[in-house]
Amino acid sequence: MLAHIVRRILSVAFTFLAVSIIIFLMMHSVPGGPFDANDMPVSEAVRAKMMAQWGLDQPLHIQYLNYMWGVLHFDFGVPFQSPGETVVQLISRAWIPSLVLGGAGVLIGAPLGILLGLAAALNRNSWIDYLTSTLATLGLTIPVFVTSMLLILIFAVWLNWLPASGWPHPNRWILPIACYAAIPLATYARYTRSAVLDTLNRPFVTVLRAKGLSERRIIFQHVMRNSAIPLVTVFLPMFIGTATGSIFVEAMFRVPGLGAYFVSSIEVRDYTLQMALMLLITFMYCLAYLLSDIAYALLNPRIRVGGEQ
Amino acid sequence: MSELIAPAPIAQTRPPFWFAWRRFLSNKAAVVGGAVLSLLILMAILAPLITPSDPEAQSFLTEALAFPSARHWFGVDNLGRDFYSRIVYGARVSLTIGFTAALFSVLVGIPLGALAGYFGGRTDWIIMRIIEVFSVVPPLLAALLLGALTRGGYVTIIFIAALFGWVQVCLLVRAQVKSFREKEFVRAAQALGASPWYIIRRHLIPNSIGPIIIGFVLAIPLAMMLEASLSFLGVGVPPPTPTWGQMINEGIDFMFFYWHLAVFPTAALAITVLATSLFGDGLRDALDPTLKGR
Repeated sequence: MLAHIVRRILSVAFTFLAVSIIIFLMMHSVPGGPFDANDMPVSEAVRAKMMAQWGLDQPLHIQYLNYMWGVLHFDFGVPFQSPGETVVQLISRAWIPSLVLGGAGVLIGAPLGILLGLAAALNRNSWIDYLTSTLATLGLTIPVFVTSMLLILIFAVWLNWLPASGWPHPNRWILPIACYAAIPLATYARYTRSAVLDTLNRPFVTVLRAKGLSERRIIFQHVMRNSAIPLVTVFLPMFIGTATGSIFVEAMFRVPGLGAYFVSSIEVRDYTLQMALMLLITFMYCLAYLLSDIAYALLNPRIRVGGEQ
Repeated sequence: MSELIAPAPIAQTRPPFWFAWRRFLSNKAAVVGGAVLSLLILMAILAPLITPSDPEAQSFLTEALAFPSARHWFGVDNLGRDFYSRIVYGARVSLTIGFTAALFSVLVGIPLGALAGYFGGRTDWIIMRIIEVFSVVPPLLAALLLGALTRGGYVTIIFIAALFGWVQVCLLVRAQVKSFREKEFVRAAQALGASPWYIIRRHLIPNSIGPIIIGFVLAIPLAMMLEASLSFLGVGVPPPTPTWGQMINEGIDFMFFYWHLAVFPTAALAITVLATSLFGDGLRDALDPTLKGR
């Protein structure tokens, strides 16, 4: 078990390094630099001195190592679009709206999705099953910004019940949270349904019924537990969906969160912020990947006890 | 007794695709999705014949922002362009990118999946590590970054979509090839001295046609979503080419007063992506019933 975890950590660390190199190279493959002649008409000697001062005259791999050394000390540089603060300060300010809205969305959407999926599996081909399938398909296929647009059109434009955008007041949070919740709800509803149906078809359920166990105990003590494993593996896609969705939800609802800054950093070519956000997101994904892997191993006795595979 | 046995030979002579077709037809959502998708493809091909004006021509400047009417079915946009024409031409962009990207995903995914599945061992390990890198990089964010660095455009978006689309095809083909590698006819071919390339080309890929079709059809809505998302954020297909993502983004600014600019592109995109996904899901369930509901 421990060997398994260590192996996974090494593998994920390797992947993270590979991704960081790819991102760094991509950033540097863009033509143009900060001290180009048309941006900064200075003499050749001055340009050379400035390039040397910022370390831009060194070969790429040295620049990469310098950057990563800074990253290890939480030094990501200064964002171009807001030079009065460091990238770390900007991120520590911007992650609050993203976490509040995204977190609330996941906390509401995931349990609701699991409940819907369970209800659908237990009442196959009933109205709740069809409702769940429809919701799951809609949530998984339609892009978040389309859902956001539909919600805004219905609740803000036509019914005029809720404000369409903004951040400071909690009543402005309702629509974005609903959009965030759509992703985990759809994911968990679909996978819970299929996992529970899968488990119900296994022979051990028939044995439990033959033993005379009540249906409630079968469902909650045995079926749910055995259906938990596929649900853990869904965590990563769900997390990716929610994090990516934040870009669109924040763009639609004009929320000053990480997603909004990601978009603006792309629009104004704010390379330091872009690089830092990309690294942060990749890091979170690697972590989520690792956690779902370890949780999977812990839940699955075949890996937990078997050890080596 | 004979009545019970008699139907078996008839059923055996039916090709596997006949059963797949029957399964597909029994799935109403998939059939509706397929019908809507065919209609959309027809509309995209016949676009010049069924639209009143050029989608980029500002022919109705005096009627800018007009609401839907008999003359302009979906109204006129803020720059005096017939909105119905723009929506129909938007289907062209969406569908071309969806299908081309899916085609390239399949072209990259088949050989890599077949190699990984057939040779296993080190080849498999390397390909799986590459796939792992792609699975921790969020496709949309990487696409955004690539789109921003290259300033978007048709070719770039197809490239980006294929870059992330091949993984699914590769995994499907790999699984299929892996399960067929040990079958007798492959063994027989090996014993007769057939080269790995011959076996892959002649035996394993034709036997993976089901997963390949599944991978192709499932890659289409993903590519369409990617294009719409990038265009929505302004790093996709640049204006004046009409794309739905772009129109939705512009529609936000007008939605409180000119609802048609927001409603029609949103509905068009939602319907197209939904129809394609339902069709793809139905095809997957029909071709490979064991994958149902995943």
